[in-house]
Amino acid sequence: MIELTIDGRAFHVPPGVSVMDAARANGIDIPHLCYHPELSTPGGCRLCLVEVEGRADPVPSCQLPCAEGMAVRTQSEQLSAMRREIIDLFVSDHPLDCVICDKAGACLLQKYAYEYGVSETSYDKHIARSLYQDDNPFFVRDHQYCILCGRCVRVCEEVVGASAIEIVGRGFDSHVATPFDGPMIDSSCVFCGSCVQVCPTAALMPRSRLGQGREWDLERVETICGYCGVGCQIEYALRDGRILYAQSTPGAPVNGEFLCSKGRYGWDFATHPDRLARPLIRRDVAYRLGLTDEPWELPDESPLDTGEGVIEERFVPVDWDTALHVAADGLARTVQAHGPDAVMGLSSARCTNEENYLFQKFMRAGIGTNNLDHCARL
Amino acid sequence: MKDGAMTAKTTGGPAGQIGQDERFAAVERVMARFDYQPHGLVEVLRAAQEAYGQLPRDLLVAVADKLDVPLSKVYGVATFYDMFTLDPVGETHALICTDPVCAVKGGGDVLAEACRHAGIDAPGGTSAGGRTSVRAASCLGLCDQAPAALVDGRAQVDLAPGDVPALLRGEASPARLQVRGEPRILTGPIGRLAPTDLAAHRAEGAFEALAKALGQTTPDEVIAQVKESGLTGRGGAGFPTGLKWAFARQAPGEARYVVCNFDESEPGTFKDRALMEGNPFRVLEGLILNAYAIGARTGYIFIRGEYPAATAVIERALGELYAANLLGEDILGSGFDLDLEIRRGAGAYICGEETALFEAIEGHRGHPRAKPPYPTQHGLFGQPTVVNNVETLAVIPSLIEHGGAWFRQWGTEQSVGLKLFCLSGHVKQPGVVEVPLGLTLRELVERFGGGFDGEPQAVLLGGAAGGFVGPDGLDVPLTHEALRPLDVPIGSGAVMVFNRSVDLWQVLESLAHFFVHETCGQCAPCRLGTRQMLSLIDRINLGAGSEGERDRLHRLGQTIRRACACGLGLTAANPVLTYFQHFEPEVGRPG
Repeated sequence: MIELTIDGRAFHVPPGVSVMDAARANGIDIPHLCYHPELSTPGGCRLCLVEVEGRADPVPSCQLPCAEGMAVRTQSEQLSAMRREIIDLFVSDHPLDCVICDKAGACLLQKYAYEYGVSETSYDKHIARSLYQDDNPFFVRDHQYCILCGRCVRVCEEVVGASAIEIVGRGFDSHVATPFDGPMIDSSCVFCGSCVQVCPTAALMPRSRLGQGREWDLERVETICGYCGVGCQIEYALRDGRILYAQSTPGAPVNGEFLCSKGRYGWDFATHPDRLARPLIRRDVAYRLGLTDEPWELPDESPLDTGEGVIEERFVPVDWDTALHVAADGLARTVQAHGPDAVMGLSSARCTNEENYLFQKFMRAGIGTNNLDHCARL
Repeated sequence: MKDGAMTAKTTGGPAGQIGQDERFAAVERVMARFDYQPHGLVEVLRAAQEAYGQLPRDLLVAVADKLDVPLSKVYGVATFYDMFTLDPVGETHALICTDPVCAVKGGGDVLAEACRHAGIDAPGGTSAGGRTSVRAASCLGLCDQAPAALVDGRAQVDLAPGDVPALLRGEASPARLQVRGEPRILTGPIGRLAPTDLAAHRAEGAFEALAKALGQTTPDEVIAQVKESGLTGRGGAGFPTGLKWAFARQAPGEARYVVCNFDESEPGTFKDRALMEGNPFRVLEGLILNAYAIGARTGYIFIRGEYPAATAVIERALGELYAANLLGEDILGSGFDLDLEIRRGAGAYICGEETALFEAIEGHRGHPRAKPPYPTQHGLFGQPTVVNNVETLAVIPSLIEHGGAWFRQWGTEQSVGLKLFCLSGHVKQPGVVEVPLGLTLRELVERFGGGFDGEPQAVLLGGAAGGFVGPDGLDVPLTHEALRPLDVPIGSGAVMVFNRSVDLWQVLESLAHFFVHETCGQCAPCRLGTRQMLSLIDRINLGAGSEGERDRLHRLGQTIRRACACGLGLTAANPVLTYFQHFEPEVGRPG
């Protein structure tokens, strides 16, 4: 272990840890815009500069490995003055329309402008980028809010492996772009939305939340993604009981801050009117069991036809005990009449590993067949 | 050369929609030369730009496919470097320098006249029918013959607006080498011997140092001599050369590389061009000795994209060296193998920064890397690497020949040896001057520059990243220790003299334009700060500047000097800060 002091407090950290990570692990917040714990550290925003005893110039803490005996100061009058100057430069290139911005309350630039008391730039306002790209169903790219931290580019390359976007152009005229600035759909984007998740400003926003409320209007519900057996942690942002968008939370054990496109954008089923909310049994079976008074004959057309009103016509809602009883009874009679191999089980990738294990156990040990498959995809 | 050593070639994927014509074949040949490895990207795109006069979209798709590089990365590289254009340039493509010296010598008028003559509204445009395109260019390294321009790779100089028709035909005065000084050790043969006549150079002792080193000197002894000499890097940063070599030799690695940094782009600097165009063997001998000393088997010469004439000279020189077994396998029967490869830049000042240079050689956008790790530990392709400036390498053969102590006969204890200075601006005979360190600016100009042209007002030392001195600085010796209190560096050796006819705020504006154009954009204080620096200078120049704005500019300069990530950014405000220090000292002073 390496011993160093940060702001006068002594810490022991394993070798290879950066000053930024060591500070964060111990509750010391060093301002940062481009640093992200899951990504490489180009050190471009310069807000995380700290003073190191014995060094004349400040050093970016995200790129600085802890060293034995190192004495670091994350706050000083000089550092504050410099950070204020840098934030002043950032807001010279960024609209300060926070009062109408969807990201207000969760924007890192807003946070640091508040903390360092920068209400407006002292420079001429030169906003380098004005492109507004609303070219896909999932997110919009509003370049005027982009601060070129490059998090989106790095997450796409380093975590997702899609490399759909890159910083293009040079200097003040740089911007984040797909090849030839084309629509996202023509790029190698997989629409996982990781770029949106790591964006510190309103440059990348979920389309579904625009104009729907701001951070403090939203209720947040943490759950496990229901899409597949990986079990990613997911957080839904809701307003009035409606999901506005989904994201992961830092420190989620399985998925960190990342989600796939289905987890992040495929949640509209949750409140869809077609969603089955109770067990159903077919009306002819229900009639035989005396659960309904209306007799009904299974028609010749496909039972998969689910046009309007079909569900209500063909099925009767029941409680779980009844549904399970009917299913167990049907399976038992089939096995008795035709043997266990007359039954086949097909399991779902949307179930957890544990559920899938139990299901195959049930089929093999309970029913007595190896007729078993799994969709293995979503 | 290197091609011969290449083994099995893969052929990459399909070429997409791009036509399989001679132009594509030219690009394909370059890809094959790099064995379809991604690191060839900048050279491949240069070949494409030359073949097509632009980078067509389908070509970029095909290149991404064949080199197995994400298309987004190819697009990122294609839009980073100045010499790459997605739209076609004209059949005649003119780059006209507008940086400080050319600007004060009338470069702006030449640019305007070229646009008018070609029927173009503004620089950056292309004339109807695609005949001619005209662009303003960053310093072309021809400041001693200002104003200068590069038309289809042909450097033309001493231009006046009336020369424009000839310029666009490539028939205006061609660039020449102007070298003076005493003693002429590094530049001795320039103008006397044909640059690539190996026999003539060997007759005067070229490669004797190499033969001596390979025959009777261990690599450690070579490094010891370089250390002993006190030689420091001549590119601007001034790091002790021998120490750098020793670090790289000791660093663990699978391979080691040497790189000659010939990305001479510092405005006002043209000494490396003179050395390479006029005396390339001395530099190459230094590079070979460097490789021998640290145990490198591959070396690169990274040449500024705007130096086609020097590139041609080096290509010929390398051919001579391979033919004479001074490069390749078992050099002079010593068992030492070395291949040297040329890599051309594509228009980016930032690539003179050593880690940005690595990025360019590896086929990326020229964004500097974080240091540490330093190049001597983790450099090109992640291996221990020594990067040396052209002039630094030119000193090396003499250190082996005469011993390191020999170099200490010139200069002072802290500023050792000979140095090339680049005299330009208001001096009567501009050019490269080779002198011992320690002369004053006045001595330099009066003895070797024919004297001042008009009464000197200011000298910009060390280029755009250097600093201004006023008339009281003219009698300060050109040594690190004497210049330190003035906050100006010797830097690259650029000496740009401005007489009383020049408005220094116009010069500051031109330098600010330069940095806005050249900042890579990776770090915020540089990307945004250089833009705001220009904005404030513009306001001041328009007469709208209050004292408050001068103070604002001063404070911005200090932020840039402290907060930026690399050497370019950290020095971008030096002209402004030294201007205030020497010409308006009341600005920025508390109370």
